Parts: sequence; structure tokens; C-alpha cells
Amino acid sequence: MKEQKMLFESGNELAAYAAKQINYHVMGYYPITPSTQIAEYLDQMKADGEHDISLIAAEGEHSAAGICYGATTGGGRVFNATSANGLLYAIEQLPVQSGTRMPMVMNVACRTVSGPLSIKGDHSDIMYTLNTGWLILFANTPQEVYDFNICALRWAEKVNLPVIVAFDGFFTSHQKRNSQVFVDDSVVKEFVGEYEAKYSALDMEHPVSIGSYMNEPDIINNKYQLHLAMREALDELPIIFKEYEELSGRTYDIVQGYQYEDAEILLFVLGSAYHTAKVTVDKMRAKGKKVGVFTTKLLRPYPAKALYEICKHAKTIVVADRQDSYGAGGGNLSIELKAMLQEYQLAIKVISRVYGLGGKDFYEEDAKALLELGYEKDAIAFDYLGTYTGEQDYSVTPLFAPLREKETAIECKTLNESTAMPKRLAPGHGACPGCGIPVNVNMLMRGIKGNVVILFQTGCGMVVTTAYPKTAFKVPYVHNLFQNGAATLSGLVEMFKQKQKRGEYPEGDITFVMVSGDGGMDIGMGSALGTAIRGANLIIFEYDNGGYMNTGYQLSYSTPMGAKSSTSHVGNMQYGKTFFHKDSPMLMAATNMPYVATVAESNPLDFMKKAAKAQKYANEYGTAYVKAISACPLNWSDPPNNERSVIAAAVDSCYFPLFEIEQGITSLSYDPENSKKKIPVSDWLVMMGRTKHLGKEEYRSVVESIQAEVDRRWERLKARAEHPLL
Amino acid sequence: MEESVLLPITNENGYYEIRLESIGGLGANLCGKMLGELGAMYLKLNAASFSSYGSEKRGSPVKAFIRYSAPNREIGINSPVEKPHILGLFHEAMIGKSAVTAGVDENTQIVINTTATPDEMREKMKLYAGTIHCIDALSIAMEEKSRINMVMLGALAKVSGFIPLDAVESIVKDTIGKKYPAMLEGNLAGVRRGYEELLSKTFEPLKDDSDFEYVPYEDVKSGWGYENAPIGGVNPCFGSTVSNDLSASREGYIPLFIKERCINCGLCDSTCPDMVFQFEKGEYKGKEMMVNQGLDYHHCKGCLRCVEVCPVAALVRGVEKEHPDPAFSMRNKDLLQEEIEYEEVGPNSYVTSESYLTEERVEGGLV
Repeated sequence: MKEQKMLFESGNELAAYAAKQINYHVMGYYPITPSTQIAEYLDQMKADGEHDISLIAAEGEHSAAGICYGATTGGGRVFNATSANGLLYAIEQLPVQSGTRMPMVMNVACRTVSGPLSIKGDHSDIMYTLNTGWLILFANTPQEVYDFNICALRWAEKVNLPVIVAFDGFFTSHQKRNSQVFVDDSVVKEFVGEYEAKYSALDMEHPVSIGSYMNEPDIINNKYQLHLAMREALDELPIIFKEYEELSGRTYDIVQGYQYEDAEILLFVLGSAYHTAKVTVDKMRAKGKKVGVFTTKLLRPYPAKALYEICKHAKTIVVADRQDSYGAGGGNLSIELKAMLQEYQLAIKVISRVYGLGGKDFYEEDAKALLELGYEKDAIAFDYLGTYTGEQDYSVTPLFAPLREKETAIECKTLNESTAMPKRLAPGHGACPGCGIPVNVNMLMRGIKGNVVILFQTGCGMVVTTAYPKTAFKVPYVHNLFQNGAATLSGLVEMFKQKQKRGEYPEGDITFVMVSGDGGMDIGMGSALGTAIRGANLIIFEYDNGGYMNTGYQLSYSTPMGAKSSTSHVGNMQYGKTFFHKDSPMLMAATNMPYVATVAESNPLDFMKKAAKAQKYANEYGTAYVKAISACPLNWSDPPNNERSVIAAAVDSCYFPLFEIEQGITSLSYDPENSKKKIPVSDWLVMMGRTKHLGKEEYRSVVESIQAEVDRRWERLKARAEHPLL
Repeated sequence: MEESVLLPITNENGYYEIRLESIGGLGANLCGKMLGELGAMYLKLNAASFSSYGSEKRGSPVKAFIRYSAPNREIGINSPVEKPHILGLFHEAMIGKSAVTAGVDENTQIVINTTATPDEMREKMKLYAGTIHCIDALSIAMEEKSRINMVMLGALAKVSGFIPLDAVESIVKDTIGKKYPAMLEGNLAGVRRGYEELLSKTFEPLKDDSDFEYVPYEDVKSGWGYENAPIGGVNPCFGSTVSNDLSASREGYIPLFIKERCINCGLCDSTCPDMVFQFEKGEYKGKEMMVNQGLDYHHCKGCLRCVEVCPVAALVRGVEKEHPDPAFSMRNKDLLQEEIEYEEVGPNSYVTSESYLTEERVEGGLV
């Protein structure tokens, strides 16, 4: 056995620790709860010089999977981590990875798939991957996350298939436990060995074409090869586990049972719930009940024979599914177990219950209720556990009158007048004290008269306003995931137009407003550009707080260079974010859309005027884009009361210049040089905790390059404003 | 391996369990993590630590859970701590607004950050039974340049009866000392005073007093279930967050309105993220205009943006405790109902990362 030490860490931390010890070449990723910490911990370790994995924050999971795929074609070691809709967004790439036989390892911290949007844990995401050709391990403790990550790479490279290491989001990803890790990284490196890729797009001596165009009669043979690799994988894993046991002292079987040998009633459960069920089994055994529980560590290849060995003497099996294959009468765990029983001609009664969706806790009593179903003569075969009907007399009385056209027909020329405009957003939302999002949304809405329909892309703004069973919106509102908000709203605009055209909807205007953070404008940039190019009649409003604040502040492409974030730590080897903030107004302007404007709460009258213009352009000409710089006291690490001054400094430093581009003609709305208010960008940066370190001498060159870039963009903007053709 | 500490009592599963109830920003998560690590690394126990996975945003309720067991006993349970051996209450304002005392009985040690006495706290909490330990963690933290969670950590260790002060000091040195050496001495002083300055009293169950009954732990249920909830998660109750009372989010300060100074410029309304200001048609200096009538404090989170932008000091910072009934307090003017039932806003189901950034956010101090 090799020397180990104890750490008190979570599944995410241990996945990152294993990756560090392996020292992968590349990790392509996109932050998504609850898997995000894996990239965060790796970034922290990188800043401290503990590994040299190239960590690439993509602009979405689809691209992250692309980065990973591309890196694997170069014959190196590649790592990824994702969850839920991120996994689904990437899923198109998964069969490409497996079908072209490029091994890699991806961690999936399992989480509920939207919608409605839930961030918590269940197995609805991982079950989508069953048909992708990936090998799938399921770890049910943080220790297993560590161990499986090490074994997974060996396994992947042995059979030339990619591996998912899945585990329960939060229950395993975030819970800290006593865990053992190898003291010496070289033990892990030796165990995984050198990787000699069969084929590489970097091999100039032996040029290969990866990704053939292939139809019948060939594709069936290609898929049969994949099937054979799966079969080989089933034989290989126990060998790898055995070898790993010699290093670690920890024994792993592909399936695991507890008190199953003589059990009449067995509970089949996946993930962390297995351990809770064991506690219940002990208690029921003490009362003379012959019950047991089992789980599988392997979803693909399916360990049918091993499961058969555990099940064969049982009378009844209760399967607890943490997801539903809707309409199929069970989740995938149930369906596949039934198929195994049929294969082995076992006439065991199976009862299925869907439980624990959206992170609903699994208590001992739940395990007991499930096991007791086995004793019920006429328990129905399939149902849900833990639902409730609702309170019979529960009613919700309207708190406000709806805001129709006449209530909002208010002209706002001064701030005093604008206080008369009814707020489209109700108070009582859950934004942090001092948050800029409601401030900016309200200010935009002051300038917009009449009917409004709002769409929020996923982000802080959406989460804090619509936590069920309440909503802050007083006008119609739609949410969609943040790679798709602009397209979604343009669909709604089309429906409005069609209905009006067919006489199914009264005459008159509705202003459609999409609201997104800068994160949504990263992953959703394609959708926004497409919508603007099509000229959909809507406003795209971006609140830019320079980071993915909703998930704990990972870097966005709009984060200032040098800023620390949880994926751009400051350390001996790293100074924060390494590239310049995205110039999204210019990207949008390149679509030749009729109206582009930047706004700031520190210039409220200009803000409201631009909102009114955006409304006019959206309703009459096409798409309008308005971008506000938006304060985030929590992650900017500055006092909430001071935020308007911080915003003003961003404007005065020309980091965030105020301008508009109307039908291609640029004009400056405010020139800090003219009013003698221009300040160096460092004066703004040191106001925030996230960039305060840039004030130190050692970061002078970083600040100088930020200043140079800000100056360059500002000079270009002035040139555009001076010349009508630019 | 060194020998592990012996747990004085355990529940039927062999676990010693701690639940921390707090609001985001006071550092209960970090405190929970440190307690877990203390158990695992310093006391050689089996340990588990996790949080409620609600929001870590400033001001929203947070729960942290810690379980210990003997080294040879596996911790199988992953669900929340229902019957804690120790309950840590980081903020008095939470009392009565959520079931913080659920599962608490005569065997529970309750540590509360408060200036009040155990008798007053029992009355305020309507506590069934248990030993209440009061500690003025806020004042100690301010005096020692420490943080509330460090003082609470010392206090929690003390009431456990098995976590020695030197183990707590070691973990503080090893974690915070390494990351923020300048703050080590203050934090150590905070821990020590937390360990030493408890005001404790044990309470037996009050027979025949229905106000002081045992509160069982229950999962929260909504009024809407599968029979009556609109399909698809659609929510027809527009603007319904207005019934949320967010006053627990405040960190000790509120804006006070001095109406005679107000020039009705509207800047306060333009900077308020929480739509607190109530402007209505009226007259100011003989002119018809929108006039600031007052504030709906239910929604004020105490960010004090308004105080900062007010050009005439008509809004000033006040200590909330000194102004239990601030002038010009009024309900949201657009509400239809005469009376609405306000409720304490629960965790809004969005986790943020546990990255160090969130632990460092108040003026360089550790949260």
C-alpha cells in the first residue's frame, strides 16, 4: 500500500484533487452548479502553482465539450465537469467523443434538469447519457469520487472510450467527509501511466483523418466496435479496481449490497441514499425483518450479471428512482433492472417509486417507507414518494391591480416625474442588499410606456425574482435558459404579430424586453446576434456586473482583466483574469441593428431617455440593445451603499463609456474629458475588492495594459462619433 | 494514529449532531466547515459537514449541519440534522420567523448570539426546554477585530464538552492564520472569549403551557400541491413577493427619513433596489409634483444606497435598534388588500460557491 493522508473534503474538492495529481493537459469547462467548484478548486491550485493543467473557461457547455474533444484528438489527457442542462447542452458532442473513440474523463455532479429551473440534486441529467456510448461510473461518497476519478482515466485509455464519473449533486459534491488521498502525486501518475494515443491529429509523421463521413454499410461495424469496447470495459474494470486496491487498500465492486444474501425484500437505490438505507436496514433487521439494500457503481456498461447475483434470492425488489422516464412506469434504474430480471428469467416482483426530485432530502423514514412497500400485498407497481395534494382551501388573493396601458402612460422627463411610473417589478425579491439588477431594470422601465412583456435569461435577476411559490413580476414574464432567451422572446413577438394579423388579438403595442446578465450574453451571444440580425422587434437589455454572480462569481468574458474571481484566482502563478473585458456593444453593433446604447445608473436621465428610444426602435424598426454596468456588492467586494459612485467612476474612467449608435451613427452621451472628470482606470479598479490588488506595484504592467486597451477603445469610439461613416 | 476523542452522548445512530442557523453573511458556513474539520482532523472522529444549500447571499437564511461519530462508525445519513445536540443561532432576528428551534429538547445545548439573558431568550423563543448559552458575539467580534463566527466557534466548542480550546486555536491558526495572518490574533481572542464568556441556564419543559411546546422538525411544504398548483410551474400571482418581509436582511442600520429636508428629487427612488420609497401626487413648495410620503420598511434590506445619494441629508443612517418605529413608515401604496400577511423570506434556493471570495467580503474581514 502507498502512503496516504486524510483530508476533510467534499466530492468536488476530491475530483479536483485527483485531476491535479493526474495533471491533465487540458480542462475545457463552463461553470454550472453544483459541479462548478471542481474548476474553481483547480484554478485555485493553479494560481498556487500546484499543477499546470490548461483550464479553459468556454462560453458555454457545448463549446466546452468542443474544446475537450479537440484536445483529445491531439492525443493528450482531458478533463471536464458539468451538471444538468449544461450536460444536456453538451450532449450532442458526447456521441462524437465516444464514436470517434477519444478517451477523456468528465465529472457530472448530478442535478435536476430544467424546467422549471432547479439547481438541486437528482438523477434526471445523468440518465440522458445512457445512450451516448460513454462509460459511466457512479460514486456515492466523496472518497469514491476521488478513487473513481483515478481509476476512470486508466479505464478510459484501456478501452478507448470516454468516462463519466457521476455523483449526487450537493449530497456528495458539497458534503465534506473524512477521505484518504495519496500523499505523493507520483503514485497516481504511476498508476495511470503514460498515455500513448492510438491516433493523434498532431502526428505529422502519420497523418490521420479523424471523423470520417460514414454511412451504410460501415457505420454498423463502427458501432459494433463500440459495443465490443463496452464489453471489454466490463471485464477490465474489476481488474483496475483490484490493482487500485493494492495501492489504496480500498476494495471496490461494480455493484454493492448490504444484508442482501437472505433478504426477502431488497431496496435498489443509486448514489448517496444507499448509505441512509443501510442505517434503516439495520433497524428493520433488529425487528426481525429480512430486508436488504443494494446499489450499482456502474451504469454503463450495465452490470447485469453482478446485479443478478445480488437479486436472485429476493421475493420483492423496491426500486427507488431519483428521476422518471415519464410515461414508462419507472425511472431508468427500474426499467433496466426489470430487463435484467427478464434476461435471467427471474420472477421477482418489482415496485418502483420516484423520490427525492429537485434535491428533496432522503430521510431514514423514506427508506423505511420504501422497504415496507415490499410487505404490502397490493402495493401499486409505480408511484411517486413524497408528493402532496396541497392545501384544499389555499387561495391567493391578488395583491396588485394589473399594469395595463393606461396605468403606465407616463412621460418621464425628470426623476421626480419618473417616480410616478408604476414599477413593473414588485418589492420583496431576494436580491442581495444594494444589488444593481433591480435598480437597472426599474430605471429601464421608467423610460418605457405602455404594455411590457419581459423575458429573463437564467441568472441572479431571474433567481431572486421568481422563487416559487412567489414572483416579483407584475407584468407577463417568461424565463428561458440563458443560451436561448433572445430567440425565445423573438418567437413570442412573432406570435403576437401573427395573432394581431389574424384578428385574434387587439390592436396596439407591446414592448418586449429580454433581460440578461453578462453571463447570459456569453453563452447566449449567438442567439442574441441571430435575433438582432433577423431584426426581431424587441429590446435586449444586459446588466453587466462582470461575472457569473449567480453561481458564486466565476469569470465572465466581461470581467475586467486582472480581477479575481473563483475561476481566476490571484496567486504566485496568476494575477486574476488574463484577458480583456468583452466589448459586447460593438459585437451587437456589427449586426447593423437600429439601436445600440450603453447606460449607467449614475446618469439616470440619459438612461431613461435611451430606454424610451430603445422602445421606439424596438417597436418600429427592429432589435434594440441596451447595456448597463450593474453593481454587485457581494462579488465586487465593496460596500453596497457606495455603488452609484463606483458606477460613476467606471463611466468617468471611460472603462464603461456612455454612447449610443442610432441607425449606424455613433454619438457620445457623456464625455468625461470635456467635463474634466476623466480618471485613470486604476482609480476605479481599486474601489472594488475584486480588483484592489491591482493597485500594488507588482501588477503595474497589468493595469497599464488595461489602461491602454481602455484608451484604445475610447479613441476609436470618439473617432466613430466624429465620423458618420464609422 | 492518535486516539480519537470520546463523544459524551450520541443519538440512536451513534452520531453527535450540530445544527447552525444563521443568515448569509455571518459566516455560519465557514464555522460549520471548521467544526467538521475539527472533528475529522483534530479530534480524529468521523465527521460530515454540509450546508442547507440555500442561498449564501447576504441576508438570507442559512443552515449548516455537522455530524460526528466514532472513527469505526460510518456516517450513513445525509439528510439535515433534525434533533441537534447543539443548536447555534447566529442572529436573534431569525427567531419566530422560521422554526429555528425545531427538534430542540432538554438534551440540547443552544448557543445564541445575543445581548439578552437566557431567561429573556427562552421567553422570546418560546423554547420547550434545553440549556441556553448567551454570548454577545457581535460586541466581542467588534472589540477584538474578529468575526461573529469565530466567537460562535469558541462558544460552540465550549458547550460541546469535548472540543478543547487548544484544538480550536490550532484549527484557527492552521486555516485563517495561514490565509490572513494579520487577522489571526484578533480571531484567536474572539474564539477564546467565545469559549469563556457564556451566560448559561438550563430550562426544564414547562408542563401545561401550550406556548412552550416541543417543535418537531418538518420539511417545509407549500400551499400548492399536485392537485391545486397551476400546471407547468406557472405562477399567476403577479407581484406576490411583496408579502415577503426582508427586514432580517439588515445589518443593524436603516435609513431614517427627515421629511422637512426632502426636496423630492427622486434620487432615492432611483437608487433603491427594493422599491421602498412611496411617492404620490402632492404639492411641494406650491407646485404639483410627486412627493415622497415615506418608506415601506418591510422590503428595506438596509443597503443605505439612498442615504448615500440624498443631496440634502433627508435620509440618514440610523441604528435600527434605536428606532423600532421609524417615522414615515408606510405600506407599499399600490397594494390592493387592506391587510396582507407578511412572511419571512426563506432561502431562495440558489447556492453560491463556497469560494474564499465569499468568506472575505466584509471590508477585508472574514465572514
